[in-house]
This record gives sequence, C-alpha cells and structure tokens, in this order.
Amino acid sequence: MSSVTRIIWFDLKQELNPPVWIIVEWIVFAVQVSVYGALISNLVTSMSDYLKFYAVGLAIMLTFEIGSHTGRHFVEHAHEGRLPYLLSLPIPRWKLFLAIALQGGFELALMLIVPLCALQVIIGNLTLVSVFSAIGTLFWLGFGVSGLMLALSFIAFRSADVYSAIVTALSTLIIRFSTVFYPLIFLPPSYAGVAILSPLTYGSDLVRLILGFDPSILVDPGIAVSVLTALAISTLGLGTLLLQRLVEGVKSG
Amino acid sequence: MTEILRILQVARTDFSYFFRTKWLMAVLLSLNLSDMLVIGLVYNGMMSIDYFKFFAPAVVIMGLFMGAMDTGRRIWLALREGVTQYYLSLPISNIGLVAAYLIAGSFAAMVYSCSLLLIALLVLPVGAIFNALLLLPFLFMLAAGLAGIAASLAALASTHGEFFFAYQQIVQIFLLAFSTVYYPKEVMAAYLPSIVVNVASANPLSIAAEALREFVFKGVQIQPNVVMALFLSSFPFALIGTFAYHRTLCNLQVRGKL
Repeated sequence: MSSVTRIIWFDLKQELNPPVWIIVEWIVFAVQVSVYGALISNLVTSMSDYLKFYAVGLAIMLTFEIGSHTGRHFVEHAHEGRLPYLLSLPIPRWKLFLAIALQGGFELALMLIVPLCALQVIIGNLTLVSVFSAIGTLFWLGFGVSGLMLALSFIAFRSADVYSAIVTALSTLIIRFSTVFYPLIFLPPSYAGVAILSPLTYGSDLVRLILGFDPSILVDPGIAVSVLTALAISTLGLGTLLLQRLVEGVKSG
Repeated sequence: MTEILRILQVARTDFSYFFRTKWLMAVLLSLNLSDMLVIGLVYNGMMSIDYFKFFAPAVVIMGLFMGAMDTGRRIWLALREGVTQYYLSLPISNIGLVAAYLIAGSFAAMVYSCSLLLIALLVLPVGAIFNALLLLPFLFMLAAGLAGIAASLAALASTHGEFFFAYQQIVQIFLLAFSTVYYPKEVMAAYLPSIVVNVASANPLSIAAEALREFVFKGVQIQPNVVMALFLSSFPFALIGTFAYHRTLCNLQVRGKL
C-alpha cells in the first residue's frame, strides 16, 4: 500500500504547491452561488428557492469537472512522458490504476470541503447521515466520471487534439442536457429525452433527494442508484481493461 | 509604412493559429451555442420574463470574451515555446509586436462572436440588422480591450501556464458575474449594493450586451453616448495590456529569459 500512497503523493504535491486550482475553484464557487445563483434565483418564478437547487447543481458540476480532470491528467502524463516512467516502476498495473483513482478521490475531497460547507449553510437542517450519504454519492459519481474519461483516453493515444475536442463536447452535452441546473419537468420534451441518458441527471437528483428536496421533481432514486453503480463499475472496469492493453508503448511528446 | 506592413504580417501569422485549432474552436462554439439554445430556453420556461430574448445577445458577448481571452493563451504558449524569442529577432519594434498580437486576438474574437451573432440573428426576431454592422467596430474595440486583459494575465503568469489559466478563470467569473450579461440591472439593484451595481453597469461587457439587445434586437436607434461608453470602458484595458506585454518583451530582450 505504501507504493500506492507514494504515487498519490508524487502527483498530489505538485497540485498543492501552491494549491492554485483548489483556491480558484473555491472562489469561483463562492461567486457563482452568492452572485449568479442568488440573482438567477430571483428571476426564477416557477419554483421556490432555486438557489438551493442551483448550489447542489454546482457541487455536482465540480464533482464532474474533477472526475474529468483525473482522466485528462492521465492522458497529459502519457504525452509528457511521465506515464512511461510510472510504468517502469516495480508495481503492478492495478496498483497504478488504483493510485490514479484514489488521487482523483483526494482531489475531489479537497475541492469539495468549502462547497459542502456552503451547502450546509444554504440548505440548513442537514443531518450527519444525509451529509455523509451525499458525499458518498458524489464520490461514486466522481469515480464513474473518472472511469469514463480514462476509458476514452485510448483516443488520446492516437490524437490528443481529438481527445480534447471529444471530451469538451461530451462534458458540455452531459452537463447542459441533465438536471444539474434545472429539474427534469422544466426541460422541453426533446431535451428531456437526452437528459435521461446523462449520468449527471441521476447523480444530481440522488444527492438532492438525500438532502431533502421535493422527490416529485426528481428522478426515481432506485433507478438513480442503479445507473450510478452501473456507470462506476462499467467505466472503471472498461478503463482498467483498456489501460492494461493500451498503455504499453504510448508515444510521448 | 514598413512597420505597419510588418505588424499586419505578424498579426496574420498569429491569426492563422486561430484556424489551426478549428476542432477546438468548433467545440468551444458548441459550448456557447448550448448556453444559448439549452440554458437560455430552459430558463425561459422557468422565468416570468422572456429570458431567451435577454440571454441570446449576451451569449454573443460571452463568445467575444472567450475568443479574446484566447489571445492570452497564445501569448503564453509563444513565451513558453520560445516563439516570442524568434519574433524579437524580427525587424519589428516591440510595440509593433504587441499591436500585432492585440489585432490578431481581436480579429479572432470577432470571427468567433460573429458566428454566434449570426445564429442569434436567426433564432431571434431582429429589430435593426444594419445596427449590427454599425456596432462591429465598437465590438472590435471591446475585443481589443479584452485581449489586453488576456495579454496582461499572460505577462503576469510568465511561463507558469497553470497561473495564467487560474487568473483567467478568476477574471472571467468576476467580469461576467458582475455584469448585466446574465440578469437585468433592476434585479442586481434589488440584491446588490448600489456601488456594485454601478461598477457592473460600467463593465464593458454589460454595455456591449445592452447595446446588442437594444440597438440590434429591439431596433432602438444607436445612441452615440452608449457606443462612446463602450469605447471608453474598453480602451484602458487595451492600454494596460499593451503596457504589460510590452514590458514583458523588453525584459525578455534584456535578460534573455523570463
């Protein structure tokens, strides 16, 4: 386990020295909730207290971005030549993959500290069970997204530009066509059809259900749990399988 | 005259980089389009005001902002990859080099935002399409101002790419959130202190978004004081960017590194 810890720290210390991105994400979250969210909430008339809904959506988006970042980071490392170095270390591939996944988990935990405290203040009346269940769901979603990006990384080994374009486009579609920022009932039918294919719809609605939002505007929690579990297991499994086969001989530069 | 020709040549070269990353640009464009056609339409159904009509012109300005900010990324890349060193060896003054980058960045932002404007013109009823053409030079000035901000950030970050992107994100969130791009001024006035509302009103992004909404889509006659305000609020940013990037180039020329 010490080799896994060492690999995690090897990458994490660069992110934390100085922790620019973490602080930037906190500032962005604070401004988006306190200014953008509060003002848009005043304009939304068809649901009460849209700010709470929006704040949870932002935390979901942050989770998605960090999960996505973990996958992209892996690809960048492959092209910068760090991956061949890691592959040359005397550790099994599964440990390397575990280290990458856990590093994403740590980054997620660091980034979410402030947003979750803010949610606590905005929503209020949260129990310990609901807070821990919500965090658990966010991590489960984060692992699924990381796995998805890692599974897509085989494209990057052929062309980094195409990978960037596909990942950005996919991220845009997954976030916009989901219930991250608006309930499913307000989506036009053509958009709602796409939104039910987005994993973020299930992740965000499940977190909202746990935090005490009105279940009538959310998707069925049973389906949400099933979709998130299937996503995390299948993408992480697929990612592991592909990485085992593809990482050897990746060209750097 | 020769200097102007050289500036235009360097600007053309830098501008051509914009089209070399056309895949990425197309994807970024789809991001703005999804803002307009998904977020705008869905929020429209959740609000009592016609938010789509309000938001679609704002997306054009957001596109202009994103396109102009790309200038900073190209400056940072040029500093990191040593392209700037090569440019410094060319028979062109440092100030000419700065002007070339700002011109190229502004043109790139105009190409990017004009494609969004065309889509907005297709999906919204237009009051006075000719006014859109009249506003273009002022939007170009705004793009130069925003490119100036991006150049300052790139100069400040030097070769540390992660700092440049962090600065860019902070500037982006503050300039967009404290503007009337996403919400009307009256809503801001009801929630925020008057000084913040005044700052948001003077924000060049607010002025440009309001100008598009009023003059192009509502068809109100162009008011000289509004376009003058747009010019005056953008100009200082272009000036600061020129100064910051020029200073970086001079330092690079004297010390050989940053």
